[in-house]
Amino acid sequence: MVSSNKLFEEPGLKQITVWARGVYENKEARDVVVALTEAAAKEGKYVQAWENYVDLPDRIYVPVRAYGKISDQPIESKYVYENETPDIVVLTEETLVKGIDILEGIRPGAVLVVNTKRPAEYLFKFITKGTENLKSIITVDASSLAKSIITLSGAEGATDASGIGKGLGAPLAAAVVKATGIVTFENLLSIIANKQAAKTAYDKAQVVEVKRLVNAG
Amino acid sequence: MSISPNEVPFAGTVPSPKTENEGMITGSWRTRRPILDTDKCTECLICWISCPDSSIKSTTAGMEFNLKYCKGCGICNEVCPVGAISLVPELDFED
Ligand code: SF4
Ligand code: SF4
Repeated sequence: MVSSNKLFEEPGLKQITVWARGVYENKEARDVVVALTEAAAKEGKYVQAWENYVDLPDRIYVPVRAYGKISDQPIESKYVYENETPDIVVLTEETLVKGIDILEGIRPGAVLVVNTKRPAEYLFKFITKGTENLKSIITVDASSLAKSIITLSGAEGATDASGIGKGLGAPLAAAVVKATGIVTFENLLSIIANKQAAKTAYDKAQVVEVKRLVNAG
Repeated sequence: MSISPNEVPFAGTVPSPKTENEGMITGSWRTRRPILDTDKCTECLICWISCPDSSIKSTTAGMEFNLKYCKGCGICNEVCPVGAISLVPELDFED
């Protein structure tokens, strides 16, 4: 019998956690996971995308999370409600590095993608926990490429007709693809609405190895 | 950011009067920090009564912000009649 702590040890599974600010960036968090999982589904992967209901009802600025899972095997942990061991963490807003345990549970080799104008070196100072498993920090000034779209359709986006990746979600998803290659960029582009923002972000996103930041002290 | 369920007050309600609720620390919601210009401030208390999180205190040293709870909504900056409160990106501060 499988021991219970190995129950969901799924080698092919990648977990994506996006942190955002309530109300203002709900759609953007949702769009990052939806765009990446839809692109992965095109590649024949098994996928899931959903919201963390613990964070709801969301209020303005409250940190909220959206989750995605991508696997080349059927997802056994389908009903596990939160991403406990993320491989990819995305922040739709830079201040989320401060005072929030954004890297909780990350697996070795995880990456952090941040929407910011600031250099990774500066952001790194605020991240106090979980950096030993972090491989790189990817910074992209997504806010200069697209806007956050407030849809008032809540975290689930039931009535959101603006299109996947119409706003900030497009450049952020592009930065994830640049850093991880989790899907091909072409497949991502075929899903998202704001293709120009995604292309620019893909070119401009800066990847900084955490090893280098630690050595620089 | 998460706390044990037994520490959350029932229905989020705390005994009144109370100025701090350890079960609901909202400082991490803040993306902009209010900064006071003491030269401009007339201590009219409009910001004090307007702050939805009771995060402004009137002290002998002037108005003070409780950054453990201030969520950076910016209402104090809107209501101040003399423009004594400005909002600065939270990440500009290392503390
Ligand atoms: S509203 Fe402005 S002038 Fe009045 S007490 Fe507050 S900071 Fe001072
Ligand atoms: S920004 Fe909002 S929460 Fe913070 S002190 Fe001003 S009114 Fe209060």
